[in-house]
Amino acid sequence: MSPVPLIQVRELVKDFDGQRVLAGVNLDIMEGGIKVVMGPSGCGKSTLLRCLNRLVEPTSGTIHLRGQLVTGAGVDVRALRQGIGFVFQQFALYRHLTVLDNVSLALRKLRGMRRLEAEQKAMYELARLDMAAHRDKYPGQISGGQKQRVALARALAMDPAVVVMDEPTSALDPLLTREVAQLIQRLHGEKVTLLCVTHDVLLARSITEQVVFLDRGVVRAEGSIEHLSSAHPDALIRDFFGRESGA
Amino acid sequence: MTGGWPAFCRDLLEQFPLIFTGLVQTLRLTAIISLTGLLGGIVVLYLTLSRSPIVRRLTQAYISFFIGMPLIVLLFLLYYGLPQWGIRLSPFVVAVVGFTLNVAAYNAAYLTSAYNGLEQTELEAGRAQGFSHRQVFALLTLPQVLRMSVPALTNQVILNLKDSTLAFLIQYTEFFARIQELASTNFQFFKAYALAALVYLLLVSAIVLAARAVEKRVIIPGLLG
Repeated sequence: MSPVPLIQVRELVKDFDGQRVLAGVNLDIMEGGIKVVMGPSGCGKSTLLRCLNRLVEPTSGTIHLRGQLVTGAGVDVRALRQGIGFVFQQFALYRHLTVLDNVSLALRKLRGMRRLEAEQKAMYELARLDMAAHRDKYPGQISGGQKQRVALARALAMDPAVVVMDEPTSALDPLLTREVAQLIQRLHGEKVTLLCVTHDVLLARSITEQVVFLDRGVVRAEGSIEHLSSAHPDALIRDFFGRESGA
Repeated sequence: MTGGWPAFCRDLLEQFPLIFTGLVQTLRLTAIISLTGLLGGIVVLYLTLSRSPIVRRLTQAYISFFIGMPLIVLLFLLYYGLPQWGIRLSPFVVAVVGFTLNVAAYNAAYLTSAYNGLEQTELEAGRAQGFSHRQVFALLTLPQVLRMSVPALTNQVILNLKDSTLAFLIQYTEFFARIQELASTNFQFFKAYALAALVYLLLVSAIVLAARAVEKRVIIPGLLG
């Protein structure tokens, strides 16, 4: 018997003002696995992520998390969101809070932890990502790469079922992109389930071999970057992976 | 000009207890309406962010209505108009209610404008973490909006102080009313009003200094400094 996916997306559709952005996406994410969803700008990658935690309401289709249906009425959306660590494209740190407060806020206000306990947990996550020394700084005082780490620490602090990352390197230079790739590999090694959407083939190549190609709202292909860039029958897909990877 | 400085100073000393009481009334009214106006502004801001379009429209109407209506008309309506409906309020209550309705509308407009300058993805990040609408407002929106609005809110406190002279027209005996009495005692209008101007200038300067100190304390490091 094949294992049940941690997240199972079936025939997911999302329309915005009559325009179909997702047109029946099917996707499985296994526990402890890493899934990279790629595709050109506007293909629906970010919308797919936002449907997972219902920041965007799907028009139709289903999403199951650990076998539980999380789409439709009667779902505790706030509890669902607490179980999905979301790392935004521009990091979206709370600018008026220190690094430590950014990571500990949800632990205190949502998990009901006392300040000391929440800060200890936050410090553990910051230390895990080499950011402990920056605990008292504000987001405006740290670099893009450091913000990325704080955003990840904030997501990890809630012990989520999955961490989803929306274009994690789009705001970073190539050097930092390599750092993020190493970081993602490290988390993958620690059995953190990861879902990453990106159009950066170099990033994808450095964190996983198997990717999903999303285009015009549907999964067009799934496989190794090697195969997609050289042997896939669709020229558009070969072009995307070939050009983007510099092959 | 009737009399000179000696006569004016003698009358000033004689009436000083009353003038001082008037000054306390002015400061009391300014402090109260600044506080209630700020709290009202925060409530109105919260309602303008409501998910209900009806609530949003009503709060927009509130802001437009009270910004559009001259304060003196509102005060007269409450003080001289309401008794015709059997509702008789003291000058102090009318001043607090009238000013609060007006100041809350202005403050809500300042806060809304600051809200529009917020990074919306930060608020989305709050929702993505599982915070409720109210928690996002209290923990993320309000602390930032208030910090960004300190200059505008300070200006409003200064306006509150200056506009408090209008309360004199609904029989609220504040500082300017006492100065008026002093002037009518000896007809030294220039000296009396110059004294009033000086006192208001000193009070405004104190407010500006206090606001600068507040601004320094609430500035977000790495962002606004």
